[in-house]
Amino acid sequence: MPPSALEESRAAALEVFEREPVPTWRRSGFWTTTLRHLRLDELEPRRHEPLGSYDELSDLVRESVGPLDALSGLIVQSGASTVFAWIDPEAAAQGVLFTPLERAWEEHGELVERWYMRRLSAEEGKFPAATAAFWTGGAFLHVPPEVRLEKPLQVVYLIDEPGTAQYAHTLGVVGHHAECTVREYDLAPDLDGQALHSGAFELYLEEGAQVRLAHLQDWGAGEVHDISTKRVEIARDAHCSWVPIHLGGHLTRQELDIITAGQGSDMRHNGLYFTEGDEHLDLFTTDLHEQGPTTGDTVWKGALTGSSRASYEGLIKIVKGAQDTHTYLQTHSMLLSPKAKADSIPSLIVETDNVSASHGGTVGEVDEESVFYMMTRGISRMDAVRILVEGYFEPVVSKLDDPALEALVRGRIAEKLSKAEDEVAEYIAERS
Amino acid sequence: MSLEIQNLHVRVEDREILRGLDLNVAQGETHALMGPNGSGKSTLANTIMGNPNYEVTEGKIVLDGEDLTEADPDERARAGLFMAFQYPATIPGVSVANFLRTAVNAGREEAIKVKEFGQLMRRNMELLRIDPDFTRRYLNEGFSGGEKKRAEILQLAMLAPRFAVLDETDSGLDVDALRVVSDGVNALRGEERGFLVITHYTRILRYVRPEFVHVMLDGRIVREGGPELADDLEEKGYDWVREEVAASAA
Repeated sequence: MPPSALEESRAAALEVFEREPVPTWRRSGFWTTTLRHLRLDELEPRRHEPLGSYDELSDLVRESVGPLDALSGLIVQSGASTVFAWIDPEAAAQGVLFTPLERAWEEHGELVERWYMRRLSAEEGKFPAATAAFWTGGAFLHVPPEVRLEKPLQVVYLIDEPGTAQYAHTLGVVGHHAECTVREYDLAPDLDGQALHSGAFELYLEEGAQVRLAHLQDWGAGEVHDISTKRVEIARDAHCSWVPIHLGGHLTRQELDIITAGQGSDMRHNGLYFTEGDEHLDLFTTDLHEQGPTTGDTVWKGALTGSSRASYEGLIKIVKGAQDTHTYLQTHSMLLSPKAKADSIPSLIVETDNVSASHGGTVGEVDEESVFYMMTRGISRMDAVRILVEGYFEPVVSKLDDPALEALVRGRIAEKLSKAEDEVAEYIAERS
Repeated sequence: MSLEIQNLHVRVEDREILRGLDLNVAQGETHALMGPNGSGKSTLANTIMGNPNYEVTEGKIVLDGEDLTEADPDERARAGLFMAFQYPATIPGVSVANFLRTAVNAGREEAIKVKEFGQLMRRNMELLRIDPDFTRRYLNEGFSGGEKKRAEILQLAMLAPRFAVLDETDSGLDVDALRVVSDGVNALRGEERGFLVITHYTRILRYVRPEFVHVMLDGRIVREGGPELADDLEEKGYDWVREEVAASAA
């Protein structure tokens, strides 16, 4: 029997993985992301038994995703194994597919093969190759043309023990004029030790599709290393609002790319990060405009406590032939500690004419005059800072347009701020 | 019951701005503090509220016998002081309603009931002829000059302090807006509240008539009198004060 397309793809990826060295990402100036502390040899895929019901999922997962009846589907992968996969019968009756990617290859091979890694490549580096070679479980979603799903399709990648290497792959296709909400959460409790999440996410919007996409990353206080690539392609007249939320991870290097690939396609990309302790976050986003007219709007906001570091590099690229593209990119970071460091690098490559594109970046601190203003209303210094940080994030959080997730994010940010309360208060008082 | 400023000396960076200022405002009274630009009016307002950029090198700020000179701004607010800012800060992402609720609750042991808060807010918004949609907007973000000042007086109305300093509340207002804001202030005057109205021009004093007028020059109060003093200033400007002060010093 000849090898399947998947087997061939894995074999090719394995070659790249074996050939490529562990990368170090260097950027102009002081910024370096290195994996020299990652003991890759000590990590391995961990298998887990499937769970019989939603109630058997951990508190962390249930509290994050909310009740099942508010979802169209839920896939939970723990370590290397799918432990829970469910689709709302109503969604299934409309022809929606929502299943682990492994199973999708078996049951819907032709459909999966048509889309699988259309915009991803194992050649991109050691970790993209590792993911392509080793992924297990995974998630596949397909919303047929003109189907409208009210409730979110929810994927969770959970790492619940140290020593885990998790290779994750989500593939999604939203048919023409279909509408849906997709959430992918990366979660871990506070692990005592190292773990790796090497992830791939690809989502394709066909003509006229409308998708709200949210990523939530909260790897807890353990040493989770996250090296992922996420890519969204938007076809003609389709629209995607993508809100990635980064709430914690020991070391994260992610590439988030959004491609407007057809005339009239539109993307809204609003991201948020909050780093603490000695976390290291390295984000590289690309807004690639392949056709014109297309529109884009990117806003990233971050806040940093402790001695954490965050670098955001945002590239707008408008290729030849993408005339009449209008796109904007802004990035802001707010320092809440004297030891934190933030770097914002917006950049622009324009290969055509008759476009408008602008970008801007700021790194700032808590505005003293605003703190004083609020204090004159009887509000304590710490509450004033909290209000400012929450208010600063609010325009991004409200873009989630998902009350349950918004509440979750607001709650986590408030927790993080209260954890850093003494340090932040000291910093603000020192500066005033 | 009174707000007493005693021999106040204040530095900003390396400059002494207030040089021995004395002022008493009793509850129930409205005082106007006038002076040319650079005389130290806003410095006094900021120092009364405890702005950390202003350093008190000598003197005291006492409210009803309690020395607040070293108190943090939020303690002063809870003790009953309020300032309407000349240039209020913008608080992005925080709606007027949310901000008001947080501020009202900051001064209370128990959080205000939602219904009670709603009624209080509606009543005060009617007083200041504020559109209901206003409370959903982010505080001061994209507000016109008039909207900012109304938002300040709305906070004054909601927080009901014992002493309020209005720092150049009339600046940047057209006549209609000035009248609305002044009507609001007048409605909030009463036995239980003292006002210090800081202004460069006399026009707000035509609507908010003070009982006492103080004139400030170079960080001190140099003339005091009744409302007629404001009328003199309107007519003759500040130069005659400056000349008189210079003459008496020589």
